[in-house]
Amino acid sequence: MYYVAKVDEEKCSTYNCKQCTLFCPEANTLMFDEEKNTAWVNEPRCKGCALCVYVCSDLLKRDCIQMVMVTAED
Amino acid sequence: MGLRYLQPAPGFKEYLPKDYVDLIDFGPFGKTDQLDATKLGQFKEIVEEHPMCAGCFMAYFVRVFYASLPNPEDTIVLGTAGCARLALSQAAVPFIYGNYGDTNAVASGLTRALKLRFPDKTKDVVAIAGDGGLMDIGFSMTMHSWFRKEKFTTIMVDNEVYGNTGGQESGMSPKGVQLKMAPKGKKFDKIPATELAKQAGCVYVAKLAPTNVKRMAKVIRRAILAAREFGPTFIHAYTSCNIEYSIPTEEVLKDAREREKKDFGFEEYMTDEVRQYLEEIEKKEKANK
Repeated sequence: MYYVAKVDEEKCSTYNCKQCTLFCPEANTLMFDEEKNTAWVNEPRCKGCALCVYVCSDLLKRDCIQMVMVTAED
Repeated sequence: MGLRYLQPAPGFKEYLPKDYVDLIDFGPFGKTDQLDATKLGQFKEIVEEHPMCAGCFMAYFVRVFYASLPNPEDTIVLGTAGCARLALSQAAVPFIYGNYGDTNAVASGLTRALKLRFPDKTKDVVAIAGDGGLMDIGFSMTMHSWFRKEKFTTIMVDNEVYGNTGGQESGMSPKGVQLKMAPKGKKFDKIPATELAKQAGCVYVAKLAPTNVKRMAKVIRRAILAAREFGPTFIHAYTSCNIEYSIPTEEVLKDAREREKKDFGFEEYMTDEVRQYLEEIEKKEKANK
């Protein structure tokens, strides 16, 4: 079991900020989907640092990203 | 420029590895437009999965670095022992790993050899190493490459500690800081790296904390462009070590912002001819947009 970031896509798509994707230390992990206008997380790559949560919640006060517990698939 | 000549021949694409095909379909390979660091997250990057710690700001700097290269297909990156090479080596750009501290000596020879071998092409050489690699163990080689006015860029990713050997103090650790392998606290000040660079003859020197992507990209680009024509350039970037300095991973950016206010404020120095040269290039780019 480990923590990964999860984007609330419905909430995220109401904004047009693309800020969290600029601050993730992992490449090709927190991506932006042009069609749905929302950020999304490539979960197997997320290391769970929660930097995006700081950007989204503390700096921008938008609360679109949460850390969730996931289990590895067998 | 872009990654134009990395476009595969027709009919050959299906036999290429998935990563390569992704870089063609969703990344910069085969496209003529420039990489844009302010659009991170909207394209596949040339740097891939790496084994650096969660929330590492050095990894973040490396990610932005690879997205800001003005000419990635003709760039060679040099690294040395230390954390940064773990991510630097995972990119679709040639990477050379020397012995500890010899980045700038290797880069000097490489720059000269590339000039002889490809006199009609622009090749960029970037040495990117930590505070130990450039200011402690590689100090003499770094300084002498600057004295000799070698035309390449040196980037110091300063985490203020020997991060992957357990936390020994480095010449760049702040005064008074207690580390796991330096329990008595450091007795000396940080080495004034940017001042040394200016005195040694670097034509472009910048100091920054990674809080502003647009500015970072601009500085990295400027340093590489200035190094092509005039001489050595140097960037000193604060990239905290959240493990050795016990910074909670979600507060790494907050820490960088605080340090930026305290002692890592943005500084940029360049000679008059470099300023003129860069202004001309940037004016041309704006006109093309």
